[in-house]
Amino acid sequence: MATSKVSETFVVPIGPQHPALKEPGHFEFTVDGEIVTNAYVRLGYAHRGIEKGAEGRNYIQSLYLTERICGICSHIHATAFALTVEKLAGVEAPPRAQAIRVLVAELERIHSHFLWLGVAAHESGFDTLFMYSWRDRETVMDILESLTGNRVNYSANVLGGVKFNVDNEQADAIRKGLEFLEKRAHHYLDVVINEAMFLQRTRGIGTMTRNQAEVMGAVGPTARASNVPRDVRVEAPYAAYKEYPINMVLDTRGDVEARFVVRIKELFECCRIIRQILDTLPPGELTTRVPRKLPEGEAVMRVEAPRGELFYFIRGNGSDKPDRLKVRTPSINNFTTVIKTAVGHQLADIPMILSGIDPCFSCNDRMVHIQNIHKHDENWMTWEELRRYGIEYYRRIRK
Amino acid sequence: MNTEEILTTAKELVKSWDWATEVTQPAADRLDVKVKELKELIPIIVALRVKRLGYLSAIVGLDPGPETGELEVLYQFCPGNAVITLRVRVPRKKGSVPSLCDIIPSAESYERELREMFGIEVTGLRTPDHLYLPDDWPNGVYPLRKDFDPKKAPLPK
Repeated sequence: MATSKVSETFVVPIGPQHPALKEPGHFEFTVDGEIVTNAYVRLGYAHRGIEKGAEGRNYIQSLYLTERICGICSHIHATAFALTVEKLAGVEAPPRAQAIRVLVAELERIHSHFLWLGVAAHESGFDTLFMYSWRDRETVMDILESLTGNRVNYSANVLGGVKFNVDNEQADAIRKGLEFLEKRAHHYLDVVINEAMFLQRTRGIGTMTRNQAEVMGAVGPTARASNVPRDVRVEAPYAAYKEYPINMVLDTRGDVEARFVVRIKELFECCRIIRQILDTLPPGELTTRVPRKLPEGEAVMRVEAPRGELFYFIRGNGSDKPDRLKVRTPSINNFTTVIKTAVGHQLADIPMILSGIDPCFSCNDRMVHIQNIHKHDENWMTWEELRRYGIEYYRRIRK
Repeated sequence: MNTEEILTTAKELVKSWDWATEVTQPAADRLDVKVKELKELIPIIVALRVKRLGYLSAIVGLDPGPETGELEVLYQFCPGNAVITLRVRVPRKKGSVPSLCDIIPSAESYERELREMFGIEVTGLRTPDHLYLPDDWPNGVYPLRKDFDPKKAPLPK
């Protein structure tokens, strides 16, 4: 995945890195002085062979397997899998179950966006925002824990429905939590569009036009920040999104600042939908029967994960095991946009461009390799040092 | 365009150019196109993109079993609510498909994955190295094929 412009001078590899991460990657940025001229990506450091693993497990086992693809958006993976299986089996989960799926998915989106806000703020050196947003995130984590019993891997889904109900007491606790989160989100929106030091790191950085975003196949908030109206919840409503329609949040600017604004504005949308669901939760059963053996055939399902469109494909062969499971996660598409937009930017801006797509990796320490081909010397620095470099760089030019 | 219009447009497109051997609708929102010849693939995709139906969501490799001597590649286009699937069959040995990168840059990672997982050569791919598998992965071992022998996979060091 390389984009070459001029002859190589420095190569700055980022990664391979911490194996505990969700989607670790190795990036190599070639720089000419300060300017990035070439970028390359290599993934697979946490490749666990889940697609192959699902072929040897039955559908119920695979549900738990897919939930563990991602530690942050675990619920949306399990939901996508359950919906695909239900499509293949020709059954539909009861309306109450579908609404609870959406409820947990939106709570998960709140948690994911708050987490990202902290991580991205930390990359810019704005640690106060990082601390506050992670403190506030605990509110939604507590809600999720009280609802499902877990802080991560909520295991809310079963094939054909959900495991738990939401009672009035829990609904009130959620409403109370949302009130606080919404108030905080308003404050953060104010901070990211008004804080001058922070704007220096975000405004006009990593700009991607609508056309570029469409051609590169950007998805999720990264695409919507470039005014690409791409949201599966709107385009192809699944679960209960038909009953609880989403207003798409768009921004025309396409820079890192726009990605902040889009994600924070999405928080308001999440809160609105959750309140609406709590007020009008349809009565009825929580599960429906799904046959153990699924017919021969293929099913395709797309859902909107916090990071964008998540694609699931299952081919059944008449047995209780899938013949093929294919998962295409949103970050794969968004990595392409980093590779292409990084070219022409300053090395100091790389941390913000990378964290702008929410790849969930920038928050961790990793190795950075700076290679000077002309001088034949090599220089290793950690991700932390590159982050520091970015912060120092901007501190210098401020003076 | 609503789903029905999208599917009708795509169906007419494929039929008028005689690009497919079989066009079916397995579900209300899906269109399955069996591409007649491999060389038709690029023109179909260009035509879909001209009609603004060419958002590539994923490339799915399929192994119908070693006895068939073939592998299948599914190009999943997802405009709006619809899913248009282009199906291509390639021989198991030395099968290849053309790269879509010139038309759809985001196809690069999908193609790199297809190449290493199924052993389907992608002609015109600029970076045909491993995306997910380790660097020391043995040649000719493709994990998502049905006849994959896990014993041949290198153990983690």
